[in-house]
Formats: sequence, structure tokens, C-alpha cells
Amino acid sequence: MTRRRHIFSAVLTGAVLGLATLGTAVADEIAVSGSGGVVAEVNEKYFFPAFTEDTGWTIKQVGAEAKRMAEIEAMVRAGNTVWDVSEISASDYPLAVKKGLLEPIDYALVDPDNKLPEMARKEFGVVAASYSTVLVQRLDKNPDGKKMESWADFWDVETFPGPRSLRGRPEYNLEFALLAEGVAKEDLYKILSTKEGVERAFAKLDEIKEHIPVWWTSGAQSVQLLSDGEVFYSTTYNGRVGKLQESGIPAEIIWNGGALHVSHVSIVKGSKHIEKAHDYIRIRTTRPDLELEYLKVLPYPNFAPGLFDQLDEAQAKQMPTYPANAEMQFSANEEFWADNIDWINERWNEWLLE
Amino acid sequence: MLAFIRRTWLLWPAIGLLLVFFLVPSLDLIQASVMNPDFTLEHFERIADRKVYLAVFWRTLQVSLIVAFLAALVGYPIAYFINLQPRKTQFLLIFLIFIPLWMSVLIRSYAWMIVLGRDGIINTALLGLGLTEEPVRLLFTSGAVYFAMLQILLPVQIVTAYSAMTEIDMDLMRAARVLGARPWQALRRVFIPLSLDGTITGAIIVFMLSMGFFITPALVGGRQDMMLANLIEFQVERLNWSFASALAILLLLGTVLTVIVIRRLGNLITRRIA
Repeated sequence: MTRRRHIFSAVLTGAVLGLATLGTAVADEIAVSGSGGVVAEVNEKYFFPAFTEDTGWTIKQVGAEAKRMAEIEAMVRAGNTVWDVSEISASDYPLAVKKGLLEPIDYALVDPDNKLPEMARKEFGVVAASYSTVLVQRLDKNPDGKKMESWADFWDVETFPGPRSLRGRPEYNLEFALLAEGVAKEDLYKILSTKEGVERAFAKLDEIKEHIPVWWTSGAQSVQLLSDGEVFYSTTYNGRVGKLQESGIPAEIIWNGGALHVSHVSIVKGSKHIEKAHDYIRIRTTRPDLELEYLKVLPYPNFAPGLFDQLDEAQAKQMPTYPANAEMQFSANEEFWADNIDWINERWNEWLLE
Repeated sequence: MLAFIRRTWLLWPAIGLLLVFFLVPSLDLIQASVMNPDFTLEHFERIADRKVYLAVFWRTLQVSLIVAFLAALVGYPIAYFINLQPRKTQFLLIFLIFIPLWMSVLIRSYAWMIVLGRDGIINTALLGLGLTEEPVRLLFTSGAVYFAMLQILLPVQIVTAYSAMTEIDMDLMRAARVLGARPWQALRRVFIPLSLDGTITGAIIVFMLSMGFFITPALVGGRQDMMLANLIEFQVERLNWSFASALAILLLLGTVLTVIVIRRLGNLITRRIA
């Protein structure tokens, strides 16, 4: 009992100290929340020094992933916004906009010369990265002389036997099922907009259900499954595949039928450093020289003007927005998912339990 | 009044702490689950209407009960064994049991993937011995969930049961022997009734921790091994606080009621065998 209480006190003290530090705003500093790990390292190495050079201000980076939206909503509701800028993922963006958690972007500050393409300019965020949910195959597990090329192949368990994995969520899996059925990518969301269309996707998923021993819950897990040979074919995020290949696993991306997403940098509602936050967003999204360094580590390109002209061909081909790759994919409709995920996810969980 | 204050003032910081950091948030949770913004039971109706929530709730309850029961069963002899050792060895053994507790649950779950996987230790051995042609599906099964959760929570059970056992005066066992009881009788009539309470407390803690598990089942379980915490997490991610609260209330009520039942049953059994 005493031990538990000690641990509890320690945690509490930690929490209180943590709150205290969060509350103190340092002069000439903005707080940027983003993914941890490699993304954080690259930000710190390239974008933050450029921001300091430009403005004289410094950046405090906060790592937040799973609970980012909950934290943002809490600070906005409490009227004490402590993050100035935050990464907002593709799927979080519509929700953040709907809940009014973001400040509108002033493009006169971010992109005064109007060089960013239309698709990079959102009302409440600027596209900072594009990425794909793609199918990946273990070439060494394929039958001799055969290679998967489409979602129809993923569903073809006769030609390509072996365990497979998909993410344990309905998003994009329903699209993949429809593509496997031969639906054209232009028609995906028209079909999914009706209940019958959603059921049609579930019926197609029924065919593959028993061949999927595990439904992954994080990107790290999906590559681990491929790496361990637990599954031979799985979806994952395109940026994870390079690491897999580097570790000697003969894995290959099938761009055909991939889901293309964009992730944003936004200003959190109530930020006290709106102008400086815009400065950071400008540096993060419109500087091809910095983005080139970023791409050496992470294949998640943004729309910095002239970026692709400066990439060598081999590297460019690894990017989800490389024209030949982009052509084969569909743009994930995040608004559709934001509007429908609540009921479709209920249906999905029931389907998993069946 | 003054006497009352003098007698209880040492408790006040703790009560204040619980009030601010536990009771108030709990009330907030209850309030969030029935307000939108006026009083409504719509969230609880949704739980009752859609079969997924109650199905997952029963599943969570079942998994937690089985894990708690297995932990008590496996943990008891281990705690008994430790209690029989000389003081120094006891300390060492408890220390060894604590080591895995300092490791992240995530890492311990991944460790099970290495043991149970297709190319894992067990399958490699089975294939090598020619006992099977194809790798056996061990991972991504409910069995794997029970195993992994048991291994992760067992230290909690052992330490709780053991600390209760150290309180027992071993002279009572000697007295029983002197009065003619056989070793097994002394154990059954004296030691087990005295130590059962601590073991049940351990099982209750394991049960409560299990009810909130979600990482391990998601990593080593199959598609049906969903826990209620997984569904709550999804609602939080979607910022559906009210519905998340309603699900949390369901989990809380289920846990509290089951704990009361286990306690009652435990007391009954203890009295029976004593």
C-alpha cells in the first residue's frame, strides 16, 4: 500500500511539475507539437535552426502522437493555448476544423509570392507532408516468377497463398476492397456514400477475412510483422518501407491502388504568437533547400516550389507524389471518413467479432 | 471537535488529494456521460442498441476473470515457496520478480511475439523435431492473450500474496503439528485460510488491471480479442468525450461490481475451509 502511494505521489509530483513547466511561457519561443522519433530529429536539425536564423526566436518541440487532438481540445477549451503550431494529420484535419481548434492561415504571411499549389493551401493548415497507405509484398515469399501488382492480387489467395495483414480500422480498407472488385478509383467515394456501397465493401472483405491472422494497430507493428515473416503481404505507410529494405528484407511497395494522404501544419486556436507561428509554417512548407535534407531521411514530401526539380530521379521515384506513383493511387477522402467513421467503425468492429 | 481534528489531521492531505485528483474527475466523467448538453441517456441507449459494446464488455470481463484466476493459481505456490526461504533469499527472489515489472508492457508483449510467432522459438523447435509440417498458429489467438497478460501481471499477484504470507506467524503451523495435525492438514486448516485473503486481494488487483488492458491483446491477439479500452481509446481519439465517458462508466461499474462479488465469495470460501 505504502509503495503504491509512493509511486502515486511521485507520478503526481511529476505531473504537477510538468504542468508548471507547460504554464511558463518563455519569451521569444514558440512551441511546436509534432511526431516524435525521426520526424522530431529532422525538424530539430533543419527547420528549427532556419527559423531561429530568420526570426531570432527559438522553438520548443513537444512530442505528441496518439493524444494530440485530445490535448489540443483541452487547451483550447481551457483558454490556455500552450502549443503555437501543431502537426495535424490527414484524418485529424476535418475534425479539428469542425471543432474550431485551429486558427485560419494568412497566406500573405506564409506564401506572399503565391508559389504554393492550390492543393497545398488549406484554410486552416498548410500541407507539410504527403504520404501513402500502400500494399507491401515480401518478394522472397512470392511463388516463383510471380509478383503482386494490384488489390485483386492481394485478394487472390490461390495464386498468392500466405498470411496477410491490414490495419484494424475501416479507413481505406473499404476502398481497397472495392478496388479489388474492379471499381474505378474515381467511383470509390460515390459508392461508399451509400449504405449498400459500404456493405458491398464488407462483403468483399469477407472473402479475405480468414487469411488475415492479425490486424495491425500501428505503423511500427505493420513493418514488424513483415520483417518477422509473420505475414507476407501488408499495408503500411510508404515511409516505413525504406527501413525494412535497409535491414535486408526484400520488400517492395505496390503503388497501384495506394491511398494518398496529406498532413498539415496548423496554428492552434488561441496561440499567443500567431505571427511567429506563420513564420515557422512558411519555413516548414516553402523552403525546398530544407525539404531536400528532410527527404533524405523521410520520403514524405511537401509542396515546396521547385522541390522535385532538385531531386535526383532515383530518389524522386521513392516519393508518393512522384507523378508515376501518384497516378496509380487515389486521394483518400478524409472528409468522407470524418463524417462517417463513427457508424462505419461500429459496423467494422461488429464485423471483426463475427 | 478539536479532538477529532487532532486525531485525523494526518489524513487530510491524502483526502484532499483524492478529492481533487480522483473524486472530482470521476464525477466529471459521470456528468459527461449523461449530459449533451441537457440530461440524456442517449449514450447508454447506444451501448445497449449496438451489440458490439456489450459483446466486447463481456469479453473483457471474461478475459480479466480468467487472467485473475490463473494468476492466483500460479502465483500462490510461488509466493508460498518464497515465503519458506531464508530472509536473504526471499529478498533476492522478490527482486527477481520485480525486474520484469520495470520493463515496458510493449516490450514484454513483443517478446511474446518472438516466442509464439511463425518463425518463433516454439515453432522452430516443433518444425525441427518434425512434430509439425507447417508452423502452428500460436500467436494472434486468445490463448496468446491469456498467456501474455498472465506473464505481465503475475509479479503483481506474487508480491501481494507473498506480503500477506509474511504476516502469518509460522509458529501456528508448528502448533498445529504439535497438536497432531499432519503437514497437509496444517497447511490446509491453518496456513491457507490465513493467506487466502492476501491472494484474493492480489487477484482483485490483477483483475482490475486486466479490465483496462488494451496494448497486449491488440498485439498478440486475434481480430476478436478486442477489449473495452480499445473502444474507449477510439472515442477519445475522435473527441467523443460523452460517449467515451459512458463506456468508461460501463467499465467502472462492471469492475466495481465484480470486485465486490469476488470479495464476498472469497470471504465465504475462507470461512468454509477454516
